[in-house]
Amino acid sequence: MPFNPLALIAEVTHRCPLHCVYCSNPMQLAGTQTELSTGEWASIFQQSGKLGVLHAHFTGGEPLARADLTEVIAAARAAGLYTNLITSGIGLNEQRLQALVAAGLDHIQISFQDSREDSANWIAGAKAHAHKIELSRAIRRYKVAFTVNLVVHRQNLDHLEEMIAFIEQLHPERVEIAHTQYYGWALANRAALMPTRAQLEKAVVIVAEAEKRFAGRIRLDSVVPDYYAKYPKACMGGWGRRLLLINPAGKVLPCHAAEVLPGLTFENVREKSLEWIWQESSSFRRFRGEDWMPEPCRSCDRRTEDFGGCRCQAFLLAGDATVTDPACSLAPSHHIVESAVREANSNTTVTQPAPASSFVQLQKLSADLWAYRTNPE
Amino acid sequence: MDLIHRSAQSRDLGFGLGTINMPPPADSSQPRLAAGCRWGGTTEEERVVLFPEGAIKLQGTGRQVLERCDGQRTFGEIIAELQKQFDTADPAKIRDDISIFLEQLQRKRIVDY
Repeated sequence: MPFNPLALIAEVTHRCPLHCVYCSNPMQLAGTQTELSTGEWASIFQQSGKLGVLHAHFTGGEPLARADLTEVIAAARAAGLYTNLITSGIGLNEQRLQALVAAGLDHIQISFQDSREDSANWIAGAKAHAHKIELSRAIRRYKVAFTVNLVVHRQNLDHLEEMIAFIEQLHPERVEIAHTQYYGWALANRAALMPTRAQLEKAVVIVAEAEKRFAGRIRLDSVVPDYYAKYPKACMGGWGRRLLLINPAGKVLPCHAAEVLPGLTFENVREKSLEWIWQESSSFRRFRGEDWMPEPCRSCDRRTEDFGGCRCQAFLLAGDATVTDPACSLAPSHHIVESAVREANSNTTVTQPAPASSFVQLQKLSADLWAYRTNPE
Repeated sequence: MDLIHRSAQSRDLGFGLGTINMPPPADSSQPRLAAGCRWGGTTEEERVVLFPEGAIKLQGTGRQVLERCDGQRTFGEIIAELQKQFDTADPAKIRDDISIFLEQLQRKRIVDY
């Protein structure tokens, strides 16, 4: 086998109490009644371990929305996997946290929308901020690694220093500063989220300073926005090369967004073995390796580093999954990204958080700015 | 949720010495795996250290050093053990190499000392 998967992204549910406007979930969410059972997940972890997978990243939606999450995590540990819970923290109290750690949870990652409560709740479309702070304090009382993730974009970048100082006092081992990537809901809301070049340049300096200050105490990882980069990101470390994702209904995908791609059929773990899907299925073989590559990728020295960029972004922006990622400055379709960047820099408007008494009112008030992520049926 | 585009990229050691210098471990310090880092892997040959964003496969001396970072042995003891084991090599060089190795892992938040 030329490649074996190293990490499994387990989207255990698409249900979520938050409505983040930058959510990377597909806009067509998997319904509750189709969700895999505890036993089906346990079988997936056993199969994954045999395939060489080392990590299971639990995400969603909000993984805590599943009542059996502790059993699911225990099943992953029993299969020898490192377990990472990516969560908003909503649905977690100290008692449940204790049970998760006892079940073998290795690492917990909580994302914050902002340091300012009104803005954080506005971006998430939910009153979640205060609970996240409380929970972060509780996490430090348990033997589990803690990462704080901060998603940055046009609406909060202007006070990045304040946000970093806020995160620091939560005492994580790791901080991840992630610029929004434009898939799913984030793509629909791109105009409200994409930073200006001036915002971005300032952010790069602030992050570099923080990294220096944190050295040896907190590890800081940052994700740069690919619309402003010269070359595309090595999305998922290459198609079907290192990662696989299983959605709540058991569909096996090479990445978060692949379901948008036309003409591909994704197999389900309910019908086929994970090994067969990884090795043999046409969807996983479609963009694996270099045979599919067009020019300029085919003759480019960087093809072994970025693998031609992201197939989903090529489809979403250029309408064709088989072309070079438009984020690449060498791509024939790069003008599409350039024009989005031009538009983002044509004004420096930042919106003030809208106070609302309910989610429905918030949706109405913000309708001109962005669409909130909604929940599956 | 947020995309995990980097998990596959940080899997090799790929250290690249940065410009940030960490204080080296003191002889009396007791190096140990940091929170969220643990040994894993299915077979003896395939032993890896797992950490939140990846894993490293350690062979040879690196593995021998890290296996001794158990929070019990002191840095001084670890050095002495390995100097004894590799008695044909320059003891000062062994000390320097182990010190640099642990500083790098400390910076990555894989080892605490």
